[in-house]
Amino acid sequence: MSFTANSQDNDSIATMALARRSRRQFLGGSAAAAAAALLGSSLLSACASDGGAGVAASSTPTPDDGAPATGALRISNWPLYISDGFVAAFQTATGLSVDYKEDFNDNEEWFAKYKEPLSRRQDIGADLVVPTQYMSVRLKNLGWLNEISDARVPNKKNLRPDLLNSSADPGRKYILPYMSGMTGLAYNKAATKRPITTIDDLWDPAFKGKVSMLSDMQDGLGMVMLAQGSSLENPDEKSVQKAVDVVREQKDKGQIRRFTGNDYADDLASGNVVIAQAYSGDVVQLKADNPDLEFVVPEGGGTWFVDGQVIPYTTQNQHGAEAWLNYVYDRANYAKLIAKIRYVPVLSDMTDELNKIDPALAANRLINPPESDTKRLGAWASLSDEQTQAFTSAYAAVTAN
Amino acid sequence: MAGTASSSRQRSKVAPYLMVLPALAYLAVFFVVPFWSLLRTSLSSMGGSVYLPELTFAWDFGNYAHALTLYQDQILRSLSYAFTATVVSLVIAYPLAYVIAFKSGRYKNLLLGLVVLPFFVTFLVRTLAWKTILADDGLIVRTLDTIGLLPDDGRLLSTSWAVIGGLVYNSMTFMILPLFVSLDKIDPRLLEASKDLYSSSTAAFRKVILPLSLPGVFAGSLLVFIPAVGDFINADYLGSTQTTMIGNVIQKQFLVVKDYPTAAALSFLLMAMILAGVLTYTRALGTEDLV
Repeated sequence: MSFTANSQDNDSIATMALARRSRRQFLGGSAAAAAAALLGSSLLSACASDGGAGVAASSTPTPDDGAPATGALRISNWPLYISDGFVAAFQTATGLSVDYKEDFNDNEEWFAKYKEPLSRRQDIGADLVVPTQYMSVRLKNLGWLNEISDARVPNKKNLRPDLLNSSADPGRKYILPYMSGMTGLAYNKAATKRPITTIDDLWDPAFKGKVSMLSDMQDGLGMVMLAQGSSLENPDEKSVQKAVDVVREQKDKGQIRRFTGNDYADDLASGNVVIAQAYSGDVVQLKADNPDLEFVVPEGGGTWFVDGQVIPYTTQNQHGAEAWLNYVYDRANYAKLIAKIRYVPVLSDMTDELNKIDPALAANRLINPPESDTKRLGAWASLSDEQTQAFTSAYAAVTAN
Repeated sequence: MAGTASSSRQRSKVAPYLMVLPALAYLAVFFVVPFWSLLRTSLSSMGGSVYLPELTFAWDFGNYAHALTLYQDQILRSLSYAFTATVVSLVIAYPLAYVIAFKSGRYKNLLLGLVVLPFFVTFLVRTLAWKTILADDGLIVRTLDTIGLLPDDGRLLSTSWAVIGGLVYNSMTFMILPLFVSLDKIDPRLLEASKDLYSSSTAAFRKVILPLSLPGVFAGSLLVFIPAVGDFINADYLGSTQTTMIGNVIQKQFLVVKDYPTAAALSFLLMAMILAGVLTYTRALGTEDLV
């Protein structure tokens, strides 16, 4: 199977990719950021003993008087994860002033930086943040998120039902998805000389040293586990270990060239790697330069990933954040975001609004994946902290060894 | 006027202390405190919740044993990569520094400028550029392939040599500059004297230039070796799953696995090994007398 149905022109492909790629590129790979976080965390732990000050005890929410949101709203989002003029239009529509920062570069780095102040209930300089779902769930479990008022976000009804009923946050009380995307396999059909359809194709000796996997535990192991018939809805250490063992065996054989963050894109583009675990949107841009590249959801299954919008319990403007969420969840507004960012929409029935902007958007199967693809996409259950820790360590024992 | 004299004498006693104060304060905040905290972490046991672990200081030397048994391969690999990189950069840098110091005439400053020039481009970009240069479909690999010199696995990138090459390239300036300084300050009259005593050029180099340049060799080697042992960028971008260095492990332990005691213990093990290596090297080169 290959994705030949592709009706967009190259210009829109290029723009699409630029946005998507720049944002995802920060995941995992930024070594300089890691170094900064390292230094930061050692300093933090050195200063941790003088904590305790500044803890606000009150946790009872103030009753909603129904007054419209006012004042300043501070948003911390991933780089290039917004459309041009979106913030300005929101400000005009609501009268709020927005301090929009693109300073969310890496889930774990962000967490390492803010867990101390958050645990002490100190303001982190943001009223709304957009971590990936697993991180959002972690924050929720730690009790660091405010509930999002349904009355203040009536557009929540537009959310895709599968996301609304997610076990990550039943009823979506704390985490409202921002964008979603697919994790699958990208390959260079000129180099593989055959279509790639399953995860087992990664282990074909013909591709020895020409294969890359994602170093993120959920994105990397998810499709391996699905292919082994393991459940992501109900994962246990045994099924995770089974997947890790396969990866270790292939790594030791020299089959796997690298464990990557988003930087697999460069390896794929320059021919260092011919099959890579990949995020759907990246491939759109890479395809603009190299039409031989394809993206497939492997037969055994691929996974969804979701970035969620959350309100930290240290927010200074709860109603402002809710006004933002409601504005984003308006289909016409959201279509503008998709037109720029080119992820898979988290709102249902987007076709009409997307067609108004550009019919090619709705026709793109990476933005509007067909049923044949989505039925093969699994999603990780929300893991307990202990599970995340155990699974991450198990995978890290292979990826960093 | 006795009072004035004594107070000025007092001032001159205090002045040196005042002058080192900023450096001491800087060291205290950015070295001693993190160092102390890291040392405590490396001997702590971890408890409490997963994401807000409580580190209890417990003289837990098990962390060191744990770190050493699990990651000795990566430690050894890092030491051997760094050692090789140091030797290679010395071999490349010494003749260059020699030429700049003795033979470049009025081009001396220009050449030194060229040596420093790559530093104006950020380290990360320079490393990524090597990815492009060594790429499997790149010009170099194709050329080597044509003339039949390509190694068996058919690639240059994602090999040990690519990582070592990256380490050499990124640290070259640190080797050249100290070498240049020590060569440049050699008094030319000493060379003339050796010629007057009928020494050959080789003998003059061996008996005069080389011994006098040893402080530069020493400083350059340390400046290359120490950062190279702990480096993880080159292994990350130019290496493969088979070239993981200890820096990669520490990074992963701190940021992904969040096993702080093991990560801290690894950092200390590395520090201890570097220190031991440097002391041995100092002895071998007899640098205490030279500097």
